[in-house]
Amino acid sequence: MRPLDPRLIRRIGPARRYIATTAVLGLAMALAILVQALLIARALAPVLAPAPLTEDGLRWLGVLVPVEARQLAVALGWLGVVVAIRVLLTWTQERLAHRAGARVISELRSQVVAHAGALGPRWAASGEGAAVATTVTRGLDSLLPYFVRYLPQLLLSATVTPIMIVVVLGLDWISAAIVIGTLPLVPIFMILVGLTTQERSAKHLEAMQRLASRTLDLIAGLPTLRGLGREHGPAARVRELGDAQRRATMGSLRIAFLSGMVLELLTTLAVALVAVTLGFRLVAGGVSIETALAVLILAPEVYLPLRMVGTHFHASADGMAAADSAFAILERPVAAPGGHAPAPDLTGATLVVEDLAVATPDGRRLAPARLSFQARPGTVTALVGPNGDGKSTALSALMGLLTPDSGYVAALTASGRTDAQDVDGEGWSRQFAWAPQRPDLGSEGRTLSLGQRQGVALDRALGAGRPVVVLDEPTSHLDRASRDAVIARIVAAAGAGATVVVATHEEDLIAAADVVVEVAALEVAR
Amino acid sequence: MIRPARGALRSLLRESDLSRGRLALSIINGSAALGSAVGLSAIAAWLIARAAGMPSPADLALAAVVVRFFGIGRGLFRYLERLASHETALRGVVSLRARVYARLAAAPADTVLGLKRGDVLARIGGDVDAVGDAVVRAVIPLSVSVVVSGISVGILGFLDPRAGAVLVAAILVAGVGSALLTWRAARIAAAQGVAADARVAETVLSALEGAAEHRVWGTTGAAHDALADANAASERAQESQARPAALAAAVQAVASGGALIACLAIAVTGSQSGMYGATTAAMIALVPLAAFEAVGAVPAATQQLFRSREAARRIVAMAPEAALASSPASPRGGSDTAAEGPYANPSGGFSVTLTELVAGWPGAVPTRPVTAQVEAGGVLAIVGRSGIGKTTLLATLAGVLPPVSGEARIGPHPAHRDLLGAVVGMTAEDAHVFGTTVLENLRVARGDVTEVEALDALDAVGLAPWLESLPRGLDTDLGTGGDSVSGGERRRLLLARVLLTPQPVVLIDEPAEHLDVAGREALRAVLARLTSAGRTVVLVTHHLQLTDLADVTVSLDD
Repeated sequence: MRPLDPRLIRRIGPARRYIATTAVLGLAMALAILVQALLIARALAPVLAPAPLTEDGLRWLGVLVPVEARQLAVALGWLGVVVAIRVLLTWTQERLAHRAGARVISELRSQVVAHAGALGPRWAASGEGAAVATTVTRGLDSLLPYFVRYLPQLLLSATVTPIMIVVVLGLDWISAAIVIGTLPLVPIFMILVGLTTQERSAKHLEAMQRLASRTLDLIAGLPTLRGLGREHGPAARVRELGDAQRRATMGSLRIAFLSGMVLELLTTLAVALVAVTLGFRLVAGGVSIETALAVLILAPEVYLPLRMVGTHFHASADGMAAADSAFAILERPVAAPGGHAPAPDLTGATLVVEDLAVATPDGRRLAPARLSFQARPGTVTALVGPNGDGKSTALSALMGLLTPDSGYVAALTASGRTDAQDVDGEGWSRQFAWAPQRPDLGSEGRTLSLGQRQGVALDRALGAGRPVVVLDEPTSHLDRASRDAVIARIVAAAGAGATVVVATHEEDLIAAADVVVEVAALEVAR
Repeated sequence: MIRPARGALRSLLRESDLSRGRLALSIINGSAALGSAVGLSAIAAWLIARAAGMPSPADLALAAVVVRFFGIGRGLFRYLERLASHETALRGVVSLRARVYARLAAAPADTVLGLKRGDVLARIGGDVDAVGDAVVRAVIPLSVSVVVSGISVGILGFLDPRAGAVLVAAILVAGVGSALLTWRAARIAAAQGVAADARVAETVLSALEGAAEHRVWGTTGAAHDALADANAASERAQESQARPAALAAAVQAVASGGALIACLAIAVTGSQSGMYGATTAAMIALVPLAAFEAVGAVPAATQQLFRSREAARRIVAMAPEAALASSPASPRGGSDTAAEGPYANPSGGFSVTLTELVAGWPGAVPTRPVTAQVEAGGVLAIVGRSGIGKTTLLATLAGVLPPVSGEARIGPHPAHRDLLGAVVGMTAEDAHVFGTTVLENLRVARGDVTEVEALDALDAVGLAPWLESLPRGLDTDLGTGGDSVSGGERRRLLLARVLLTPQPVVLIDEPAEHLDVAGREALRAVLARLTSAGRTVVLVTHHLQLTDLADVTVSLDD
């Protein structure tokens, strides 16, 4: 995982603008910190010097803070301005970060949802498809700490740290040498610690996750156990699993915190070394007090952004992972079913399904397998067969929502036969009136029960006036009276000339159908 | 809803048996770590100021050692603090989780059975963790920040009381001010953010799950517009909580900057007027640069405190302490899992009798009065359309819900929650398949189910071919939540479990939902075996075809 995903910059406009602005603000902040340090050094040096100061200890950096700042009043005035600027920068950065973070999350969410929809029902049924909703809601929400905390520090470490090194070099090359010498040790040691502990921490992590999911599983089953009077046994097991999980977690933390310790140890020790070296050189007269003060104040600033990056890394890792899976979805090519020819008018057309087969997401079965039937206008065709053998999938293929692995869906019209695969997919699909098993009716639909939703969806499908009516288990969740009414309406729709295709287990509906087609699945030989 | 008592977080933290010793150790180590940073800046300032007077190098030797010690101390103590605080919190979480589980297990069945699975998971999972986080991310950092701020103020106050007073005022402004502003931001987030997030989740689901439907009906654009609206609302909520959060950061910058300026002025003027020497002046001027790191942790800690408090309230609301109190009018105190326990029936079986029984959850529309009787070894089917109260009636038979009026009898006893597990076994529509082996999943019914019994039960529900396809047979792990099991297989597995339960009265909710023809045959076989063993079955369903399996059918429809 890269600290800054280039795809974020390339594809998400608000992210690009935010990063640019934050970099500029970071530079301004670096300048403010620098001027503040030099001002303190200027004001304090005359007090600490045993004899009046003769030379300019800040050398060419005196351009930034003139010698007049050795007078307290001047220094305090300028410090007031610098502090005000720092406050303003801090406030602006925070506001921008929250706003940009929220915008980027919205943008990414919209893009992923639109793209996922275009990827079609087969992809949605796969493991990756099932996780999309979690990724774009809770997953992407954790990008906020990444934008608000981690990214600004990352940019500061790319701006402030090098600027401070150059400044220290300009002030005192020996101190700069200590800083430059220790700085590479930080990544080197962190990588070394990471490499030597990777295997162990991966093992710990796995054990941790396994134990956590076991505990949660046990808890999730509490009502079930309660119903059977078996709820008391697992209490001890919950504690046992918890203790095992704690040990595994501590094992992994002992290692994970090592890299943090190395980071803090190296950076603070380097500052201490700079201070001690400056002390002894002051005694020997090798460095002026003004220079020494400036370096002493600036040295921790070199390391601060690095330390903050380390602190916020873990909090933002979740967001990065979510962004990663979001981009993985966006990069998946869309294979839209259909071609470019205009779709034929399906009014009065006979729909032909020939030798249709669609593989299940795991590729182990064909459901349906070798399905052939014809659905004529003015008739009801019932697809029957065991659960999971591909009735709903056959309906999706019929409506042009997915491309079959083999076989054809076609329309026989007065002008001849047209394959669904060769025509505009949208134009084909829009001629179907569909009531799925679990209809989605937008936000208002979510307050209705499944049975009520199905009722609304049925009304919509039967009242749409589209040439083909497709109903998936239209009578489940209904009581006898409503069921009889629905069957009558289905038969009436066919009587009015529509081509009706239903998937059902309902015996009365099967009896009312003109054609009954058995749908069967097939295990794929390995 | 019951309003949870104030101090939910405090009482849960007390319940998690936090070790005072460990907690103190964490705070001491944390204070030593941040104290090292303050110490480093103070002694380094002294060292430079002293060195500027060009003394003999030997005069600097001790200070040089101390500076290096502080340089190492920060990283080392921080590491020790993190280990100690996580250990403390994890132990607390384990205790608390076990306690909440025990509370729920002991709570009246109506509390437990009324809970949605997602809620139980969220409370005992994430919410208990969030209470633990209060220790690591709020209690300890806040304590450390008080201790270390005290140290900084002590140093400056000792050198010059005016500087000490300035620092104490600035730290109070930075700490209390940012805490108040962050608390406000968190409240806004809780009030607006949660609703906005829920709307986003809803529109996302609608756009994703309904994608094919939107394509057919031409409503894709509308779904995406709804998502855009929800996104905008979420951004507005974010914006309104970002305002106080940004102010909190600004307040900290103002306070630390102000202290810096004031202390510099005090140091320089104090030294110029001859109040003290160079070393003291240097320390007064430079310590404020390091002193605000401790108080910088306040916003994050405040946010965590708020989050943990909300989590604690949810836990307490779900599993209130009162739940521990044993239920009144209980025929016998404890609940015995053995069927032949205190409720043994001399005739060997239990009839189920409903007399003008009206069932209903408080505040909901009750069912119409029902009268029916089924003898031991019979099947009673309760039918009716969706939402008419079939599951409610079943809950009343299980004794989980007191009747609104009329009476339900299990054999000679009035239906009572203490019968559940002893005489009555209930399988809900969404009964859980555990992430363990097939065999252990069947042993949920009864701890001593043998392999032979398990194979026999699986065969009876038509799962023998499925079992053969599994890599390790009965010992195959089904994965968390039984994810790898298909809907039909899951139903049948639950039926096999029902077959193995020991209770003489069996309640099953919607056993045929989504079962195909072969599955219904399996159900028929299960019922036949149950009744031939003299056990009484009550099932509720909206599938009228199932009524031919029943000896007595009663309809809840008007």
